[in-house]
Parts: sequence; C-alpha cells; structure tokens
Amino acid sequence: MTSLDHGKFSRVTTMFHSLLALTVFLLFFTGYAVAFNDELWWLVELMGGNTGVLAVHRVAGFALIFLTAFWVFYMLLRAGGSVSLTAVLPTPGDVAAFVQDMKFAAGMADERHPNARQFAGYSADEIPLLSYVGKGVIAIFAVELLLLMVSGLLIWQKTMLIDFYNSQSVVIAFVAFHGALGVIMMMGVMFHTFEHGFHPAFYPVEMKAFLPKSDTPEYHGDAESESVTGIERLRLKPSWGWVTNVMGVLTIIGVVSILLASMSYGGYPISQTIVFGEGSLLRTVGINIGVLVLFIGLFLSMYGNVLRARYMRQRRQEARTAATDGGRTDD
Amino acid sequence: MSDTDPETGGDSDHVADERTESDGGNRGLSDRAAFWISAVLSLALAVGSVWLIGVRAIQFEALQRVRPTVEGGGVGAGWIQGNTKPALDWLITLIHFADVLMGVFILVMIFMHWIAFRRLAARMRPHGAPRRNSDAVATDGGERSDSASDTTCGGDAE
Repeated sequence: MTSLDHGKFSRVTTMFHSLLALTVFLLFFTGYAVAFNDELWWLVELMGGNTGVLAVHRVAGFALIFLTAFWVFYMLLRAGGSVSLTAVLPTPGDVAAFVQDMKFAAGMADERHPNARQFAGYSADEIPLLSYVGKGVIAIFAVELLLLMVSGLLIWQKTMLIDFYNSQSVVIAFVAFHGALGVIMMMGVMFHTFEHGFHPAFYPVEMKAFLPKSDTPEYHGDAESESVTGIERLRLKPSWGWVTNVMGVLTIIGVVSILLASMSYGGYPISQTIVFGEGSLLRTVGINIGVLVLFIGLFLSMYGNVLRARYMRQRRQEARTAATDGGRTDD
Repeated sequence: MSDTDPETGGDSDHVADERTESDGGNRGLSDRAAFWISAVLSLALAVGSVWLIGVRAIQFEALQRVRPTVEGGGVGAGWIQGNTKPALDWLITLIHFADVLMGVFILVMIFMHWIAFRRLAARMRPHGAPRRNSDAVATDGGERSDSASDTTCGGDAE
C-alpha cells in the first residue's frame, strides 16, 4: 500500500518535459525579442542581431515540431497509451476542484480538492494522474502549439506567402497572428513557473517532473495517515516567504505588461507610420520583468535536472557502499 | 487514475510503466519499439514540413524584422498596412480577445495559488522547528536517509 504518490512522470516524460521547456523558452526569448524589440533590444543584441535571433527561433521551431510530433506518436503507439489519453480529458471533478480551490483561497474550504492536489499526502488512487490545472495546461498547449507551429511554418519563408497572396500585408497579418497567439502561451508559462516552483512543500522545484517515478522512492508502510496530507510534518524553508512574494509580484507584473503591450501595439506589430512615438519606460520595465520570470523558469528547469543527477549519483554511491558491506549491487 | 480497476492493483498506466522502466532492464519491447518508431516518424514529419515550406519558397531571406525600429529598417519598414484577407483580420481580433480572456484567467489563477500556498505554508512547521523524527520521513521521501528524501520530495498531481 502506497500512502504517497510521489513521481508521476515516466522517464520519457521527464526528458520530454525538460527538452520541451528548453525549446519553448528559446522560442519565447527569440520570438519576443523580435515582437517587442523596442523593449528587449538587448536580447536581440545578445543573440547575434536579427539574423541570429531568427536562426535560433527557427532551429527551436524545428525542435518543437519534432518533440510534439514525437510525443503524440509515442502516446498513441505505446502500450497503455489510451489510458494516458483518457487521463488528460477533463471531468466534472476538475470543475469542482477549481471551485474548491477558489473557496480554499478564500478560507471557505479546509482542503484543496484531490484533483487540485500538488502535495500528495493521500493514497495514490485518490489522486488523479493530472490535476485540473495540469489538464488545462495540456489542452491549451495542444491547441496553441498546433496553431503556433502551423502559422510559424507559414511565415518561415515569408517570400513564399508573398508569392502566394501577392501581398506583403497579408504576410504581416500572419506574423501578427503568430505573435499574438504566443502571448497566451508566454503568460501561461509564467504562471506555470510560479505554480510549480513556489509551492511551500516543494519550493524551489517539484522533483516529480525531473525524477522518473521508477527512480522515486515510495513509502510502502501502513496507511495510518491516509486521511491527512501530512503537510504539517514538513518544515518550511526559511527563504520561502519572501522569495514567493517577490516572485508573485514579478509574475503578476510580467503577465500584465505582456498583455497590455500586445494590446497597445494594436492588431499589427508594425506601426502605421515609420516614425515611432514609443518608448514607454513602464512598459519596457514590465516586459523585461516578464522575461526575467521566464529566465527564472528556465533556471529552475535546469536546476531540477541538476538535483536529479545529484540524487542518482548519491544512490549509486549508496549501492556501492552497500555492496562492500556484503549486499549485492543491482547495477 | 479514477477509471482503472482497483482489483488489479489500481493504475494500469503505472503498471505499464513499471514494466517499462524497472531498473532491472526488463523493458517491454512494445514501448521500446514505440519510442523508436515515434522518433523516426516525428523526425520525418519535422524535416518534411520544413522541406515542404523550403521547396515552395524562393530560396532567399530578405525579410528579417517585424518592428522596423532598428537602423536600416526591417520587414515592416517598407510594408504598408492593407491586408486584403478579412479572415486574417478577424482571426487576429479573435486571438487578441483570447489574449485578454486568458490573461485575466491566468491572473486569477496566480493570485489563487499564491493565497493557497500561503495557507498551506502556515500549516507547515516553521524553519526553526526541530528536524522531523524517523517516522515523519514517510511524509516526504521514503525509506531512504534524510538527505535523499530532501532532494526527492515530489508527489505532485499535475
């Protein structure tokens, strides 16, 4: 009997998640350097100017097509794939979980709904594979990634579109569509960073996304504590409070700034005239804060892999030590 | 997962995964085959889609930039507004609408999690509290030592 459900990701999932994160972050850094280059000019310069930025953007775009296609094929072809597919479909319980989360935040509920549970102190069969937020992330990403990849491919060679439509403005419309669509994803990734990096029980990273469940130790004892989450027994890290407050503020500023900037630029990312009356300091600061949040997200994603490597090394050392004591090594 | 049979040990995905990912090297052939077939198919799709765009296009890159603010101008500099495809205008408006809707929703979610995290943190033991005893290791690790459990306190449901 497992009273905890540590580790939900398989080895392939952890690798896919890390590679997808790296790819998407690269696409954000390059794509937003282009879209908001008044505000993120330093990012353009850092990546080798416009040619460099677009080259990196396209290499990452290619990787994104490869990774998502791989994931879809793998999910469909592998044994038990259909189970994974049903696990991502929303259920009425997910709506209830959202409502209960609102109540929990307002102090009107004592616990978070099992479908919202990040801290899994309950028995494994009480906890769904994905929380309602996780399901939402997958659903939104699936639609967005598909649209982003198709529109991205279409504007890959703009001359092709110009040829096809006999109009430059149509091409810019495709670019605008592509960019505005990316805004939703960028805001979502900022939220994702905050949500998974700053849960008090997991801060600063949730290892379950990096350590496959086959390598995660699980406690198989009696189930005396099943009705409680067990969070009372955990110690809060000393820096959690202020770091989380700072990150919360930065995430809010980042999301609002990106949103407002995408609005104030209007429907098209080019101006009506060549002369610009831009240069809003507030917007520049806000968008750069948003990019900072993304950098922290990228850092945490890499840090999770560092922790995994450290943990696996520790385990190998322990196995070796055990062998010299007369035990046997499995590997 | 809720739709699995508890009689057979619960989560069938988990069972499948244990078969695939056990340390003993007893990997299911079907999963391994699935992995490699997926890799080949997706590489073909990625190369094919970029190739398709490549052969249809004139092979030169004359257009670099969206916002023509940097010296020398860019993609947009010489381009006038005048989209002749109303469907594209409509799609852009739709995406802007989705941006606002999702942006507001995401802000709600951030605030909600921020507050929920504060409530959860208030239940945890403060930093100064003594280290947990050996019983409590079960809450965030497993049967391993403290140092191991510290780095592996996972268990998220997303």
